[in-house]
Amino acid sequence: MKEENLYISPGPHIFSKESTPGLMKDVIIALVPAIFASIYFFKVKAFILLLVSIVSCVVFEAAIQFLMKRKIAISDCSAIVTGILFAMVMPPSLPIWVCILGCFVAIGLAKQLFGGLGFNIFNPALLARAFLAAAFPTFMTRWNHPLSLDAVTGATPLGLVKFSHNLDINYRDLFIGNVSGSLGETSALALVIGGLYLLIKKAIDWRIPLGYIGTVFIISFLTNLISPDIYAGGLFHILAGGLLIGAIFMATDPVTSPVTKTGRWVFGIGCGAVTMVIRLWSGLPEGVMYAILLMNALMPLLNRMTRPRRYGT
Amino acid sequence: MHCKNCGKEFCKGLWRENPIFFQVLGMCPTLAVTTKALFGFSMGMATTFVLISSSLVISCIRKLVPPQVRIATFTVIIATFVTCADYFLKANFYTISKELGPYVPLIVVNCIILGRQEAFVSKHSVAESFVDAVGMGIGFSAVLVLLGSIRELLGFGTIFYYKILGEGFENWVIMALPAGAFITLGFLVGLFNWLNSKLTSAHKI
Amino acid sequence: MRKTIQMISVLTIIGLVSGTVLVFTYKYANPLILDNQKNEIKEAIFKIFPKADTYEKDIIEDSVIFRAKEGGKLLGYAFLAEGNGYQGAIKMMAGIEPNLETLVGIEILESQETPGLGQEITEEEFKAQFKGLMTSPKITYVKNKPPERPNEIRAVTGATVSSSAVVSILNEKIKKLKNALQKLR
Repeated sequence: MKEENLYISPGPHIFSKESTPGLMKDVIIALVPAIFASIYFFKVKAFILLLVSIVSCVVFEAAIQFLMKRKIAISDCSAIVTGILFAMVMPPSLPIWVCILGCFVAIGLAKQLFGGLGFNIFNPALLARAFLAAAFPTFMTRWNHPLSLDAVTGATPLGLVKFSHNLDINYRDLFIGNVSGSLGETSALALVIGGLYLLIKKAIDWRIPLGYIGTVFIISFLTNLISPDIYAGGLFHILAGGLLIGAIFMATDPVTSPVTKTGRWVFGIGCGAVTMVIRLWSGLPEGVMYAILLMNALMPLLNRMTRPRRYGT
Repeated sequence: MHCKNCGKEFCKGLWRENPIFFQVLGMCPTLAVTTKALFGFSMGMATTFVLISSSLVISCIRKLVPPQVRIATFTVIIATFVTCADYFLKANFYTISKELGPYVPLIVVNCIILGRQEAFVSKHSVAESFVDAVGMGIGFSAVLVLLGSIRELLGFGTIFYYKILGEGFENWVIMALPAGAFITLGFLVGLFNWLNSKLTSAHKI
Repeated sequence: MRKTIQMISVLTIIGLVSGTVLVFTYKYANPLILDNQKNEIKEAIFKIFPKADTYEKDIIEDSVIFRAKEGGKLLGYAFLAEGNGYQGAIKMMAGIEPNLETLVGIEILESQETPGLGQEITEEEFKAQFKGLMTSPKITYVKNKPPERPNEIRAVTGATVSSSAVVSILNEKIKKLKNALQKLR
């Protein structure tokens, strides 16, 4: 890119005191409870994965920016956030080299190839997870029981409900996080604390999480009403799987979600609808990842369709 | 027969006008059959055969064909050779033809072939057309083999069924899926265009 | 007018020549293709019944069966079964003992399952499970644990859909065969 070219970003041109590092630091602070919860439930495995993931994301970011002769901007903390979020959606028993490969996909393929922070269409952590899910399906569907260091595998609550029709749900464990699943998705409590912090700091817009979680609740409530033996209730679908981490931390990513208010509503509701369609009627137990990626792809269209009319036209 | 530009016409198919990297044509077989190097090679050979034979026939009769029925004539000739190739593979390489499935008959609609007839053969002599078809065919096949080798190596740990990566290697299933084809092709196209821009800018200085 | 005649004549000649070329290619290739298809079936049958020296093709109701024999003694029936898998059709050859209760083995002839996952159904490890498998009341599968009952197989990890497809295709076909052969007796 040549320096002398002037770029005018699309309006509105509002000056705000918010800065990228500031926003990213808020997200990191909001993720702290979830980090502690994951280390508590999955012990050393969680700690190693988080450490490897953060370090490799930052290293890859710096290395690729250096190789592509861009300004090295690891101080904006976005690579750290990607690293934490990526580790949060990984199964605890993931081999380390797969984790490093995933970080390379997240930073190299999903972010820097598209032009770096602000230009990526898809959420880097989720795109990397989708890549790994397609590349190593056996690793990505091997879950550990929490609080045990041995390699006992256990199905996730969503898997149990979907494939074994085991509707005997312990809501307390589900809320605290004492169930098998990805590192950061199990503890609803920790995620909600982080989400409230972000909402209070106005770091995220409440429309996307509300639209997302609300849609999931309505759909699961209705299907549960129709056939309670097959489909679990609304509360279960909110607490189980990656819904909360997806709705609070992934779908609200300012780069990959729409800027307009209507667009954000549509985005959240769309995410919720796709998630529920995948969870209830497809071959997969969980659909948060594909739902958000799909809606990410629609983001430019949503921005365009919901562009506010100029006053008087 | 004279052929003053033969060297140039041959080489352009290999690099500067490579059908996949620089013309970005014939994407359907490129993405679909390159799960293994051998399938890429077979597909490349079948396409090269059709390309060379139809180029020869069309360049011989190009002055007799009225322009209004040009496309129809070309298509009939191409389809004939494609059917021959399909029968030949089914008769002699049954297992490969089963793996390639519908993509051999689909060579009929491969835009490289009709594209070459329209853009080149209908304006050039027999010898030049032949050389052009050979170059394009080899260029196409080479890319298919390269793509197939990369995908087979990462997806199965082998190249041409020869085990390269040891037991400890975990197969990347994605490389055997369509997504792997898109990712690998994207990287290769990017890499070769970058190389080409480096080469041309170095040449100018 | 001259143009029209030229157009018609060029197209006619091209069509005729193409047709002739295709006729000769077909004449050359078709016997070979039929041979290949027959060989495929033959190989599959002899792989399932290694002791067999001959087999006879027979059509009972609407299904084709092959009686595999060793020196005139009936070893079992081989039959083709086809159905939908995860991504496309799965076509296989299966062998069953003359009492129609115990499977002798299966061979996957065609499948388009996910490579590295569903495609594991073509691996020896999966196919070997069908040797000596009981077909009554019907074949079932278990996940992530070794099979316990004589009519159970273990599904390929991460590819339950493909494994269950194989099982249900077999069940359906075996049911049909049992009905057809019982009527015959």
